[in-house]
Amino acid sequence: MSGVNRLPAPAGLLVDHDQPISFEFEGKRYKGLAGDCIASALAANDQWLISRSFKYHRPRGVLTMAGQDANVLVQLPTDPNVLADRYPITEGLRVHGQHYTGSLEKDRDAWIGTFAKFLPIGFYYKAFYKPKGAWQKWAPLIRRKAGLGVVDPTVDPGYYDKQYKFYDVVVIGGGPAGMQAAVTAAQAGAEVLLVDENPVLGGSLTYARFDIDEPNSEVTRQRLLAAIKASEHIEVMTDATCNGWFTDNWLAVIRGKRLYKVRAREVVLAAGVMEQPATFGNNDLPGVVLGSAAQRLIRLYGIRPGRRAVILTGNDDGYGVALDLAAVGIDVAAIVDMRSQSRSTPLVDAVREGGIKVILGHTVYEAIGTDRHIKAVMVSRIIRRGQCEDTGDVIDCDLLCVSVGYIPTYQLALHAGAKLHYDDESAMFSISDVPQHMRLAGSVNGIYDLDAVLADGRRAGWLAANALGLKWEREPLAPENTGASGRNFAWPIFPHPNGKDFVDYDEDLQVADIINATRDGYEDVQLVKRYSTVGMGPSQGRNSALTTARLVADAMGRTVAETGVTTARPPFAPERIAHCAGRSFYPERHSSMHHRHLEAGAQMLLAGVWLRPAYYGGKGERDRCMSEESLNVRNNVGLVDVSTLGGIEVRGPDAGEFMNRIYTFAYVKQQVGRGRYVVMTNEQGVVIDDGVACRFHEHLYYVTATTGGVDRVYQNMLRWNAQWRLNIDVGHVTNAWCGVNIAGPRSRDVLAKLCTDVDLSAQGFPYMGVREGRVAGIPARLLRVGFVGELGYEVHVPQHGGEALWDAMMEAGYAEGIKPFGIETQRLLRLEKGHIIIGQDTDAMSHPGEVHLAWAIARKKPFFVGGRSIQEIERRPFSRKLAGFVVNDLAAPIPQESHLVLRDNAMTGRVTSCYYSPTIGKPIGLAFMAPDQAVPGQTVSIRSTGGVLVRAEIVELPFYDPENKRQEM
Amino acid sequence: MATTQPAQHPRRSMIYRILREAGAEFEALADAAVAMRYADGGDEVALARRLGLADLSPLARTGFKGRDTPDWLVTQQVAIPDEPGQARRQSDDALVLRLSADEHVIVSDLRTRSELPATLDAEWQLSAERMCYHMPRADSYCWFAISGECATEMLAKVCGVDLRLDKFDDGRIAQTSLARINAVIVRNDLGTTPAFYVLADSASADYLWPCLIDAMKEFEGGIVGLAALRALV
Amino acid sequence: MKIVPCPLNGPRNISEFAYGGEVELMPDPNTSSSEEWAEYIFFSDNPAGVVREWWCHSATSYWFIAERNTVTDEIVRTYPASELFKERVEFKKESE
Repeated sequence: MSGVNRLPAPAGLLVDHDQPISFEFEGKRYKGLAGDCIASALAANDQWLISRSFKYHRPRGVLTMAGQDANVLVQLPTDPNVLADRYPITEGLRVHGQHYTGSLEKDRDAWIGTFAKFLPIGFYYKAFYKPKGAWQKWAPLIRRKAGLGVVDPTVDPGYYDKQYKFYDVVVIGGGPAGMQAAVTAAQAGAEVLLVDENPVLGGSLTYARFDIDEPNSEVTRQRLLAAIKASEHIEVMTDATCNGWFTDNWLAVIRGKRLYKVRAREVVLAAGVMEQPATFGNNDLPGVVLGSAAQRLIRLYGIRPGRRAVILTGNDDGYGVALDLAAVGIDVAAIVDMRSQSRSTPLVDAVREGGIKVILGHTVYEAIGTDRHIKAVMVSRIIRRGQCEDTGDVIDCDLLCVSVGYIPTYQLALHAGAKLHYDDESAMFSISDVPQHMRLAGSVNGIYDLDAVLADGRRAGWLAANALGLKWEREPLAPENTGASGRNFAWPIFPHPNGKDFVDYDEDLQVADIINATRDGYEDVQLVKRYSTVGMGPSQGRNSALTTARLVADAMGRTVAETGVTTARPPFAPERIAHCAGRSFYPERHSSMHHRHLEAGAQMLLAGVWLRPAYYGGKGERDRCMSEESLNVRNNVGLVDVSTLGGIEVRGPDAGEFMNRIYTFAYVKQQVGRGRYVVMTNEQGVVIDDGVACRFHEHLYYVTATTGGVDRVYQNMLRWNAQWRLNIDVGHVTNAWCGVNIAGPRSRDVLAKLCTDVDLSAQGFPYMGVREGRVAGIPARLLRVGFVGELGYEVHVPQHGGEALWDAMMEAGYAEGIKPFGIETQRLLRLEKGHIIIGQDTDAMSHPGEVHLAWAIARKKPFFVGGRSIQEIERRPFSRKLAGFVVNDLAAPIPQESHLVLRDNAMTGRVTSCYYSPTIGKPIGLAFMAPDQAVPGQTVSIRSTGGVLVRAEIVELPFYDPENKRQEM
Repeated sequence: MATTQPAQHPRRSMIYRILREAGAEFEALADAAVAMRYADGGDEVALARRLGLADLSPLARTGFKGRDTPDWLVTQQVAIPDEPGQARRQSDDALVLRLSADEHVIVSDLRTRSELPATLDAEWQLSAERMCYHMPRADSYCWFAISGECATEMLAKVCGVDLRLDKFDDGRIAQTSLARINAVIVRNDLGTTPAFYVLADSASADYLWPCLIDAMKEFEGGIVGLAALRALV
Repeated sequence: MKIVPCPLNGPRNISEFAYGGEVELMPDPNTSSSEEWAEYIFFSDNPAGVVREWWCHSATSYWFIAERNTVTDEIVRTYPASELFKERVEFKKESE
């Protein structure tokens, strides 16, 4: 037997009586059935206390049985805040209640509740915000007392992933309206996805009582299930939650460990309604449940939810609940009907015929209980709206079912821009302004009568298909009898003089808290929410929005319609960060010589998305390796991988004119076979990229760009020419080429062994010359450039030849002592030569004049991008200048990037690059500073590591080989 | 055909080391070595029908771009697609992809009978009279094939374009984001088996390949050699 | 996730695109006043209503024009930049 409250087989649509499952709650073993959720399995064993409340540590248990409340949040070893009324039990599952000190049964912090009166909303902030700093001290203590579950950071969350899905029509909600809408849309030929958060389709058909003939709903469900099964066009996702609507019908649907990114052409929202609690004293005691929760326990899980029950109702649905309880042998002590009279309907008549006592015009004044469960209710006569006598009859019971009304499951519609309206006449919320490509169907649309619900589903499915141009029979008419009338009792709120009349169970907010918020001056419902935190808990106002709106309206003397409600935003239900993160994608680019660097023992570093060798050697050997590598370039020959450099081809009859407009220098007259430095500025005159333009043909410039900047350079070029309409074509060829820079006084000797079809002599291939030839048999583009300040050649070959080129170079240079060098070493070498790196030695304000690039501007051209702005800038005094400095005190801590340049303790600039230079014999660097500081011979202060002030001497650039003899050898 | 090792050839797949680790048997093909089958690969044809991933990077391909490109290709007897975003199969089974009005990519057939990419590369010259420029696509793109009945669903894990077979016809091209990098995806069914070619940044091949294999796992897909794809045609 | 209809690639998720700002016509850089130039460089009209904007499809680096309503975020129309920029643009110095 799986618990004292379990009904005999075959009761319970979801459970399998032949499959017992044992699990633990609070260290005690329980038996449930396959198909049980945690809460149902506990209820079967008469364990109703599931957790403690957020603020007052009140005992809490099942309220909605629909995953709509925070009362049933429990802790699993792997997960906090799991909804016990949704999460299925599995063999050996270990479950704990949350938020108590000591034990769930005897929470040592339960005393806090007795001080509730002294903890009005805003109490913590009001009490602890003075003196300054007090809140920082108190907050951790207070938050420890109030909080949810515990995250175990060592738990491996497992494999989460995302997937796109595309459908013509997505129907959200698999109740009668949704099932029917799916069937109709599919009949018209639409590809349909039907999403439901429950394990089986059917929605209210699986638990609710629509009429006296109870089996009718199961017959309807089976008929719809058969139609869905028969259709080739319907995909069903159960146990799946549509957690948000985003622009253009992009739906986030979560199932298991996957987030589906569903794109729907049309959406039918058939999400149903959420039953609402009533407000009275101790309305949160375990054993006080919604009528629909009791029905779910009975029909879905085969559980008798009590032995002696009282029904508190304001509509006819409470009578249906009474019949359901009686049918499973529960003694229904009374129906307490808030209405002063009831109509004669089949349900009401059936109850009366069954001999169940009905007390009209009364309400429950308070629930009376132990510290863990309800044991009786006091029933009092209603005097006027919201007020009842404070005495009455006490009726013993262990179950109180509440049926006083509903709100539509409005969230997704509101995400899409629909509005929630309140009709003071019917006391109901309704959804209006539903956007294009979305339709409502069923009870979310304010339709309750089952035949009308099905008709509404049919109509919504038809309209969705029709919007897609799919024709199917005639347009179904909108149902006439909605069955909505009388569903909501207008004012099921009876504040108790001692409080504990909860409006928001998540946040432990009582009627007085909401009223006090309005008295503290927060008169708008949005402000009430922010001040009191009503609706901000895990259930996001599902059980509190309606009561809050009514209370605020009443307190302000307005109608509920005028008061409005707060906004609904995604997510619909709490979601895991793992769902948002999904599988991690970290794109990473490798040069074709990548594996050779690894084999040579390089320390790799991520430069943008490229992995590049920093230097070759052990982790702690950076300084030594850089020193050796740099000296080998200066004295011998070194090899560096420059494959990551951007490569763009500008080609066509107007290529020269285009280059003239896009870069600052002059290119029209550049000779074929020559390279020329390029600087790109944006329209503000700010330096954004540089490189070398190699003219290989009258109509072809091969332009290099910075590793991180090339994509932007390429897009810039295309955008400008979309306006200029010059006769050119631009090709992005970065990944088609790879290359090395072979540099050092012996580089020519090495290259000569591999390249015989190019005259490599100083006259035949001068500095800034460019050539095409073969290197190691591979077709190559050779650029004689001097970034590191020595004789050197960049050799670019097609990507596929990179590894072979590297191998050939290393082999050919063996006798000359060739060594690879990394980009850290390259940065040091170029710094010695005084070359700036765009993005490191420049920022988003740097114009050419302040970073020593004024020489690269051709001022006679009619136009280049940024030219006019540079003119304007240069007419004004400079605010800063980049200057080279050396640190003569070798004992001083070497300045780092972004260390401040000071004058009289005030910042005038910052260091952009700084290294110890083995060639110069001291630290050298570049820094922005005030123009009058940037004069060679002057000394400035830099606040270096540890706040130490370091004296730096300003020097002329470059630091190394000012006559450029080395690179022009 | 005799087996070989990629490092013995001037043209190497960007991921030849990964393929070698996976047990690839390589065969020489022009100036490159292609993974023909895998040791312990089992029934690779059945795998390719279900969900297979193959590296075609060593196969020939080229590209041309510029205003006069369509005209030049026509003078070279190439049947170019009518619209951008379409691919057209040639009589020798080479495939011509039209990426935009003036940019085309030409890829080899799986049996490498087509001479078209090599012929075009040989015929083309930079000319002042004609705005048709070479795009070295054999080097800028790695080239993978994803085949089988689960290909669409697996691609939906890494790509936001609707590639369902009834919405994305054989011969359609999507230039889009695939696992966060830019890629050209072209549907090119192999016989009756749905298949997609993926052309993506060659420098990202080391990243993309394992990323796709990871996405394939839940469908029980796997790596297949060129021989398996040939068997489908 | 908004869908942007790209004139080259068809409807795609907006995450495939980069926004390029309002389409603004450059005043003559050689004759305009400093004030006119500063206005062009630093100010946008930012009207509430339909605006012409530059958008770029990242995977193809394809620039096009979108007419978008900044109030409703509705994209009214997209088209190739050549519809707007039909003529070759020349720059001449004042003195020439």
